[in-house]
Amino acid sequence: MARVKRGVTSHAKHKKTIKAAKGFYGRRKNTIRIAKQAVERSMQYATRDRRTKKRNFRALWVQRLNAAAREHGLSYSRLIDGLNKAGIEMDRKVLSDMAIHEPDAFAAVVAQAKDALSYLKDGNANEYERAVGA
Amino acid sequence: MKTFSQKPAEVTKDWILIDAEGLVVGRLASLVANRLRGKHKPSFTPHVDDGDNVIIINADKAVFTGRKYEDKKYFWHTGYPGGIKERTAKQLFEGRFPERVLEKAVQRMIPRGPLGRRQMKNLKVYAGAEHPHEAQQPKVLDVAALSSKNTRA
Repeated sequence: MARVKRGVTSHAKHKKTIKAAKGFYGRRKNTIRIAKQAVERSMQYATRDRRTKKRNFRALWVQRLNAAAREHGLSYSRLIDGLNKAGIEMDRKVLSDMAIHEPDAFAAVVAQAKDALSYLKDGNANEYERAVGA
Repeated sequence: MKTFSQKPAEVTKDWILIDAEGLVVGRLASLVANRLRGKHKPSFTPHVDDGDNVIIINADKAVFTGRKYEDKKYFWHTGYPGGIKERTAKQLFEGRFPERVLEKAVQRMIPRGPLGRRQMKNLKVYAGAEHPHEAQQPKVLDVAALSSKNTRA
């Protein structure tokens, strides 16, 4: 039988790929030819998703802040408007965490934001804000 | 700091009771869908069922605006060629299960998937004024008072 000299390195390479393909579905996890393709694609996804992760989290904080703001009779956009006008520079991550764990502190921040919004005082609050009792 | 993620074991679900008499179907459904999904909570977590349980009574007395009571059609397909069927909102309301109008409206506002199906189970819709959930001591939510548009003028 012919002597294989490159077996050691190929085997090591294959082992590395198979290891990275753990948990994949069907032949993707134990057939080197298919596992290699799957691992390449998974790396592409991972690269892309490290970037989208930042957007996804920001979107989640916005959704949470919207819910928290509405408990105080403001919509999200009006809360942000108020915060900007009040010169409060806390970011969405900190604010949304505060709304969950420190509701009293969050209420104080919202109160400041509300103070900075002239249209609430001018009687131009929208119907929703009046109903919730801005 | 790590973003908070609600754990399924730590979810506290409220029970809310809504009297649908005279309320506009779509506007009520969107409020209920948000409640079921938990989007009204600052701790909203997209992959966890952390919404409320919602009881709707008098679902047969909900209303449509415009001409939807007669014109709105509900379609489904039987799978056979030419198997498209339809029913109007009026037929549903006057049929055996008038509460299905509201059920359908909410269902179509909830994301389809395993989580959506689970959240739909937290919705209880009854045609009459009776409901068997007194033991849960539901809190009454007055939807009509939230906006003048929630009832038909």
